[in-house]
Amino acid sequence: MKSTLKMAMATALLGSAIGLASPALADFPEKPVEMTILFGGSAQTVGQILADGMSKALGSPVVAVSRPGGGGAIGYSHVNGTDADGYSIVWNSNSISTVHYQGNIPFDYKAFAPIARIGSEVPVLAVSTKSGWTDLKSMAEAAKAKGQPLKVGVSGLGSFTHLAAAALFDKLGVKVVYIPYGEGRAPAELLAGRVDAAIQWPGQFIPHVQNNTIAMLCSTGMEKIAIEIDVPTCHEAGATDLNVTMWRGLAAPAGTPDDVIAKLQDAAKATVEDEAFANAARNLGFEPGFLPAAEFGELIASDDAVISELMTTLGLKNK
Amino acid sequence: MDILLSTLAISFAPEVVGALLFGSIFGLVFGAIPGLTYTMALALILPLTFTLDHTAAIAMLLSTFIGGASGGTVAAILVGVPGTPSSAATVVDGHRLAKAGKASLTVAMATVVSTIGGLFSLIVMVFSVDFLASVALHFGPAEIFALLIFGMSTICGLAERSIVRGLIGGVIGLMVMIVGQDPIDGVSRLTFGQVPLLQGVELLVAMIALFAIPQVVEAFSQHHSGGETVVDPNTVKVELPRPRYVWGFRWNIFRSSLLGTVIGAIPGTSGTIAAFLAYSQEKKLNKDKVAFGHGNMGGVVAPETSNNAVTGGSMIPVLGLGIPSDPATALILGGLLIHGIQPGPLLFVENPQVIYSIYMLFAASYVIVMIFMLFGVRLFVKALHVPHHLLALAIMVLCIVGSYSVRNSMFDVGTMIVIGFLGYLLQKARIPLTPILLGLVLGPAMEREFRTAMIMSSDDPSIFYTSPTALLFFAFAAIVVFKHTLSGLRSRNNQKKEA
Repeated sequence: MKSTLKMAMATALLGSAIGLASPALADFPEKPVEMTILFGGSAQTVGQILADGMSKALGSPVVAVSRPGGGGAIGYSHVNGTDADGYSIVWNSNSISTVHYQGNIPFDYKAFAPIARIGSEVPVLAVSTKSGWTDLKSMAEAAKAKGQPLKVGVSGLGSFTHLAAAALFDKLGVKVVYIPYGEGRAPAELLAGRVDAAIQWPGQFIPHVQNNTIAMLCSTGMEKIAIEIDVPTCHEAGATDLNVTMWRGLAAPAGTPDDVIAKLQDAAKATVEDEAFANAARNLGFEPGFLPAAEFGELIASDDAVISELMTTLGLKNK
Repeated sequence: MDILLSTLAISFAPEVVGALLFGSIFGLVFGAIPGLTYTMALALILPLTFTLDHTAAIAMLLSTFIGGASGGTVAAILVGVPGTPSSAATVVDGHRLAKAGKASLTVAMATVVSTIGGLFSLIVMVFSVDFLASVALHFGPAEIFALLIFGMSTICGLAERSIVRGLIGGVIGLMVMIVGQDPIDGVSRLTFGQVPLLQGVELLVAMIALFAIPQVVEAFSQHHSGGETVVDPNTVKVELPRPRYVWGFRWNIFRSSLLGTVIGAIPGTSGTIAAFLAYSQEKKLNKDKVAFGHGNMGGVVAPETSNNAVTGGSMIPVLGLGIPSDPATALILGGLLIHGIQPGPLLFVENPQVIYSIYMLFAASYVIVMIFMLFGVRLFVKALHVPHHLLALAIMVLCIVGSYSVRNSMFDVGTMIVIGFLGYLLQKARIPLTPILLGLVLGPAMEREFRTAMIMSSDDPSIFYTSPTALLFFAFAAIVVFKHTLSGLRSRNNQKKEA
């Protein structure tokens, strides 16, 4: 009995020695991969479906673990502190830049190796139909004529919707007071007339637009959003060159071996291209759009520069 | 009629019933274990619903929600540790009743009134979803802030000895919740540059710590000094409430149901506030010989009815407006969206079948949960046969697992232990713990609503006194404080006279 145990241990040791010797790590993953999720709401739900799909693609479990708080600071710090072996990855977003420039984490996006972009979400500008504003230009003119700052609802100060709103109203030259609501409350505040406009994810407005109580004036990205309602881009509607899009993707601690990244990237690709995932994600207002590691890395870097500039203008930068 | 019959057939297909049974048990277990909540249960069960057809998915989500909202009672009554924050108000009288040998009656009574409260809220939802959704719209930051102040005034009724001690507790609770990132500007407060502190103190972790740790310490010290009271297994008899007994509480049940349904419909409030408000309302109206706080069944009926009435109430803005009122309903909304069901005003016109099946499954979930609970009572009361120090050990393990699992953070386990021992010391200093919990629950919401209201009015405080709704709640709060101060002074005078 004892000798069998010894044998087993020796084999195990030998096995791990071989594993160490060959940098190829041919059998990744040997254990479950942990995917840290930073936020609740649709970000969490899409993350869970993604983890589900990647488990099937990898043939080994990918476990979604929630580590919310600090605008992403808690989750990023956790993953940053783990080994760069691909077993701990993060469901990230532009928040890596906002949380860094707010001064809440000492490291920035360079602390992570990009794996793949999974897709994007584009905020829209919505108003109550009672306001009578049917397009961006008429709203901007009416606001300027009124002389008082426009009350605009956003998720929170320093949140992505705040940045998108700031970029938009800066282009329009309209004075604005930002009212920080939680994400879900924007339609209620618009319907009750407590705010003049709101910048939020389109999904929650759809039933009210169909009911003709809320109108979506424009979306902040360069490309039109893929929903059943026709919404022009802000660029078309008068805020020329406005392009603010929230991406979500996966990243691992910097230094994770390239072949491990490649395996995770392929699993992510297979999941995003799956019809079931795409449908579920679209229903949640998330537009799937795969980008491989290298291109995703370039996107993160260019957006980081844009966010840094925006936050400086807004006086939100502490770093 | 055809549509109702066809919905009935779809709603009770075998796989839907299976989903109902599974969800109910899953929710009950998560609700019953301190530190595991139905919000967590919903997050875990959501991926399981992806592959189900939409009726079964709705069944699973609703039954998990309802099971979880009902399960918290068991631990609150039997061991004095609330399974969820919304059953914290039940601990006060419920645990006393259990100690007095009425454990099974109390649990069963709580189960029955929970079901009544839940079904009451369903009926209100069916008949007035449009009206209540428009009432909910009326509650902006200033109005919600006023409602929270009213909630805060219930501290008066919870402070066992003196209002001053109660206030000390409430303020401690508010102070604890200041730690972390502030909810408006994202500035870090009292974190001393430590990243883990940015996430602040999690309400659940603090709740487990406050209620469980002092009990655990007490149980061990009693065991050590040999003064342990052993419950004689023969005195714990299984007793279920008779219909006539329940009927005796009809007005309490009615008032608490109504209160819970309305509070539930207002976004940004929760079952915890409803439970405490119902408790303090019934305490004022109580004419029994046994005072509230000393083992009065009315003190169990009120919070349990209203925290379950919240379930139907909180579904009103979800279905009527597509707006979630708390994290649990946000997850339910996500589950509906994945299946292509878009709640909102048009759902009632375009897809009435979905609405009918939601109503039927909601009612079915309550009935199934009640049956499970009533059968379970026999098992639950067995927990009382376990010697206290062994039970304390088990509670300790659950506390550690629970506080870790809320946010998957070891830091929270440390926080739980620190707050727990502070709670023990405070209890020794005769500072009541329930007001601390109230401060913890209401603090973050109060700050957020107050500051949002002030931003909205460009720092003009008139926003609070130009809204009639806000004024009404401020007035309620003032009346409560005034009455309690008056009765406090009177009883002091009486004591002087007697002396």
